[in-house]
Amino acid sequence: MADRYSFSLTTFSPSGKLVQIEYALNAVNQGVTALGIKATNGVVLATEKKSSNALTNPSSLEKIAYVTPDIGMVYSGMGPDFRVLVDRARKVSHTNYKRIYNEYPPTRILVQDVAKVMQEATQSGGVRPYGVSLLVAGWDEKPAGTGKGGPALYQVDPSGSYFPWKATAIGKSATSAKTFLEKRYSEGLELEDAIHIALLTLKETIEGEMSGETIEIGIVGPPADNLLGYEGVEHARGPRFRKLSPQEVDDYLTNL
Amino acid sequence: MSNPFSINGGAVVAMVGKDCVAIGCDLRLGMQALTVSNNFPKIFTYGDAYLGLTGLATDVTTMAELFRYKVNMYRLREERAIEPETMANLVSSSLYERRFGPYFVSPVIAGINQRTGKPFICGFDSIGCIDFAKDFIVSGTASDQLFGTCESLWEPDLEPEDLFETCSQALLNSVDRDALSGWGAHVYIITKDKVIKRLLKGRQD
Amino acid sequence: MEVLLGITGKDFTLVAASNAAMRGVTILKAEDDKTRTLNSHTMMAYSGEAGDTVQFAEYIQANVQLYGMRNNANWQLSPPAVASFIRQELARSLRSRNAYHVNLLIGGFDTTTNKPHLYWLDHLASQASIPYAAHGYAQYYCLSILDKHHHPGISLEKGLELMRMCRDELVKRLPIDFKGLSVKVITAKGVQKIELETAT
Repeated sequence: MADRYSFSLTTFSPSGKLVQIEYALNAVNQGVTALGIKATNGVVLATEKKSSNALTNPSSLEKIAYVTPDIGMVYSGMGPDFRVLVDRARKVSHTNYKRIYNEYPPTRILVQDVAKVMQEATQSGGVRPYGVSLLVAGWDEKPAGTGKGGPALYQVDPSGSYFPWKATAIGKSATSAKTFLEKRYSEGLELEDAIHIALLTLKETIEGEMSGETIEIGIVGPPADNLLGYEGVEHARGPRFRKLSPQEVDDYLTNL
Repeated sequence: MSNPFSINGGAVVAMVGKDCVAIGCDLRLGMQALTVSNNFPKIFTYGDAYLGLTGLATDVTTMAELFRYKVNMYRLREERAIEPETMANLVSSSLYERRFGPYFVSPVIAGINQRTGKPFICGFDSIGCIDFAKDFIVSGTASDQLFGTCESLWEPDLEPEDLFETCSQALLNSVDRDALSGWGAHVYIITKDKVIKRLLKGRQD
Repeated sequence: MEVLLGITGKDFTLVAASNAAMRGVTILKAEDDKTRTLNSHTMMAYSGEAGDTVQFAEYIQANVQLYGMRNNANWQLSPPAVASFIRQELARSLRSRNAYHVNLLIGGFDTTTNKPHLYWLDHLASQASIPYAAHGYAQYYCLSILDKHHHPGISLEKGLELMRMCRDELVKRLPIDFKGLSVKVITAKGVQKIELETAT
């Protein structure tokens, strides 16, 4: 009889809480800290890369993911869940948008689509919520809604709720990192300053040593036409989102 | 005779001018040679994009209503009006979705992109292949005649009022040589901050 | 040789349908009603493939009445809304394996705006809102008469006179007796049957 029904794991407790979502948030709050800062001319995402064993190859571990040419994201929480969400984000950005309008979705639309996937995991039968919070960074060519276009930074939680931020952090040391960011953030910040602040904030919370091997940085900045793979095509524009190489990260670290 | 594109008749033309575009349609709805209505407009507005539809009347109405739905949903999701270029890609993908059972329509889009200020026109075949044009787009049972009148009358960088006259004359004189189009016309003249819609009486025979 | 006719005027819509049920050249019935009342102020007349017509008409009638029951009795679908609904159903059926082969006239009177409405729909679900309409061979005989004599603001008396002119022309020209017209009028008061005096 019992196998004829599939009950949602997320069932309301008498006090009105969905404890599975709170447990998912606990998973996030035990995760490695990740942060994002929005500047006037771009966004930076940064996190620490921690391998559990010294024998692993650090270059094979990737925590910041490319979603569309102008959008990237990072997570705190469960790595495997993040991979599934990156896959879905890349997929829905095409099925729900590019294959219809022949252009990539604005950041908010993509965030809403991913948030929808995460919300459905809190209401469907036979599934558990995703054990991750996301930071999504993007650039909108067109004024989106009441906004002006330009850089965008969003946080998405396991419940499916999402928030736009100027700067924020998720994971183990999110609280202290956010306090630090509140002190260092200023209006009119430029991307280079934002990268600098991102590294300073990580330095406050990091456990291991900081290097290009252990720090991962993704930026949304000016179009990187060199990453296009070809040249001489009129109106062709390179991706705005790109990850910094370990060498670039090391360069920033030496100037810290 | 049983070609779905020429049962009901109709004509649409769009033209580019200097910082302006024009789009016009006739008003006839017929069944073969019999005229049923002389008040069947074929241009529909979706924010900044103007869509002209010729072909099978039932599909003209169906498509107009489908895009009303799709564009309204787009506006609610994105909290902004759809741009003409985006509308073109939406029309294209919607038509290609029915690749093996198409809607029998030949759409035309005209509009000015409010963000860039650029005039935009394009046309489609019934399965969504886009025809981008710098000068003019014609469609419908009077398309042969429209190609002729447009080739002779159109010139680059016409001012709005001159473009209106060119577009109207091209349309009116074309539909007079087509038994399945005519009975009056609607012409829209679109600039960045003003749209004028004019009803042309035309020949009622 | 089925006849459907519709005429609007200042404060009314007339819808008429021939009384003969035919199969080929045989008249099967002389009192066939080819109309259905949809709600208090809308009705439709239909012609086309034998089984399809009544099946489709009753499906529409049931759904329009269901809408009325689900809502307040004073909140009925307006004639344009009814026409849109019917067109959408017919257009949906058109893309199916077995499309309804039905031609329709939808007559109505909008009590909120006090305006008459008449919609013409063919079996492809092409829709037009027009002041006077016909389906079948009646189009070729009657539209020219109505083109000459109809005006938007005509009285019911004038409307009935036009209807008689159309009927007499059809009786004169059509090779088969269509057994006369049954005429219905929709006014602010609702749908009523009207006797058109017999042919001279």
